[in-house]
Amino acid sequence: MQDIVIVEDLRKTYGKDIVAVDGISFRVHEGEIFGFLGPNGAGKSTTIKILTTLLEKSAGKAIIDNLDIDADQAKVRRIIGYCSQEVGVDDDLTARENLMLQCSFHHIPRDRAEEKTEELLKKVRLTDAADRRLKTFSGGMRKRLDLASSLVSDPKVLFLDEPTTGLDPQSRQDVWEYIKELSKRGMTIFLTTQYMEEADRLADRLCIVDQGKIVAEGTPAELKAQVGADKIRLWFRADDTEACEKAAKGLSNLPDIDEVGKCVTGIATEEGLEITAKNGAAVVTQVVRTLDKAGVSIEQLRLTVPTLDEVFLKFTGKTLNVVERKEAVRPGRRRG
Amino acid sequence: MEMVSEIAAIFHRWNTKLLRQPIFLFFSLIQPLVWFLLFTQAFSAIGDIPVFQTLTGTSSYITFFTAAVIIQTIASSALQAGIGLVNDFDSGFMDKMRVAPISKSAILFGKLFSDAISTIIQVVIILLIGLALGVTVASGILGVLMILVIAAAFGIAWSGISLFVALTSKSSQTTLSVGLLTTFPLLFLSASVMPLELLPNWVQQVAKINPFTYIAQAFQNLIIKGLVWDSVGYAFIAILVIGVISLGASILVFRKKVS
Repeated sequence: MQDIVIVEDLRKTYGKDIVAVDGISFRVHEGEIFGFLGPNGAGKSTTIKILTTLLEKSAGKAIIDNLDIDADQAKVRRIIGYCSQEVGVDDDLTARENLMLQCSFHHIPRDRAEEKTEELLKKVRLTDAADRRLKTFSGGMRKRLDLASSLVSDPKVLFLDEPTTGLDPQSRQDVWEYIKELSKRGMTIFLTTQYMEEADRLADRLCIVDQGKIVAEGTPAELKAQVGADKIRLWFRADDTEACEKAAKGLSNLPDIDEVGKCVTGIATEEGLEITAKNGAAVVTQVVRTLDKAGVSIEQLRLTVPTLDEVFLKFTGKTLNVVERKEAVRPGRRRG
Repeated sequence: MEMVSEIAAIFHRWNTKLLRQPIFLFFSLIQPLVWFLLFTQAFSAIGDIPVFQTLTGTSSYITFFTAAVIIQTIASSALQAGIGLVNDFDSGFMDKMRVAPISKSAILFGKLFSDAISTIIQVVIILLIGLALGVTVASGILGVLMILVIAAAFGIAWSGISLFVALTSKSSQTTLSVGLLTTFPLLFLSASVMPLELLPNWVQQVAKINPFTYIAQAFQNLIIKGLVWDSVGYAFIAILVIGVISLGASILVFRKKVS
């Protein structure tokens, strides 16, 4: 696959002490959705602003579609689209007027611009609201229009800076679907996000960034595999070590289980028995069946699958945001 | 040629915004109108002073003062020109324009030309109100057109100051206060409210280097006497000097900020 964005050792410093982007390198393949996941202040916006020619880099190299972002700045601007975090639309104008204005910025002749506007309004489902001023628009509608307005020139690469920050769940879903659709049509998309769920769902490949550095890179599945397999934890009635030992013995014979831990009592975070398996969800039934046969009763069972947040934790030593843990099976009490 | 269509697009955008918010058009008219209606009443006796009559050629203070009202209107609306730009920076719209393949100067000139339109509308309103108050323009239709051309050109040149402040401070409050703080002192330290010869000596010295004086004298002559070309010429020289400096500085700062 061809690399459409090539970034080598990119740096951005302010004054002497502040390093916003600290020598990052990555390549975006043509046609993929490439994610930049990181907390506020990680250097995501700075990177996207440099790549969209809005900010001058301090050092390094950046090439978009064989064009140098400095030497061929004007040409780069003709092949990229950009949606800022702030949503750059004019609230005094209608949706249609906003798109027509963007068309004129890209020197699209009037009749073609009218067609294009109509087509884009339809795509982002704003045809009915086309002649309303943006003052009456919801956050989601404004974001959709913003997306549409960055597409008037049919960009080769679309840059989205935190496209769903501040949106309600339904609008977020809409934006996600639209981004996926654009990707299906072959557009290369570079997006930054602080939501791991967003990166997980949208990105074909992603970089995890922290303090101006790339700390990990890969597909979401590759990254998650790096923090380990799925885990199932079993809790037993207090001090029922006998039941725990019995369970451990029975489970160690199951072929799909990679590892059965030791029985732990008294330590709140590690209490009970931990089982490691590649496909946790599939193993749960086997675990339950085995316990049932052995006549062991448990208090609680929990399945944990690795998340990008854990990847982030592994590489940076801190959590990205409030963890949205996937708790698949959690029966209150199960008798054998 | 691309730049012409870019300026046209941005000009059209600001005109649309102006028409959607006509209240702003009248907002900067309120204060000058209060002066026009009240100040001239309180000071109408100035017109009876014989020296005033010989110096200005009229015994009507309100006729003389019309020039000051026009200048005040131009200045207070010109000094708000930068606010639109600050808003564009804040809303992210500026970044959208910067990423687009358009000339940076087009962003400024489209805005300035639209501001000139609103200045012309405001000056027409003042001249009509003046007419209702008995102020006629001695130089006729041609003189009125001349007043509008000077007003538009002066407005564009004076806007440069606001653009410069807006671009360097990126704060609408700072931009607004510069407008509020400078207009009145400049007005009173010029020949707008009183003929130059009747001002105290030190004020005269200041007034001679104050651009408001030359704009005011051009307006006063067009309203009271007729087409006095040398004062029109001085007005344009003043506009040219301010324009080159203020717009030159603005374009320089703008290029630097948005390249």
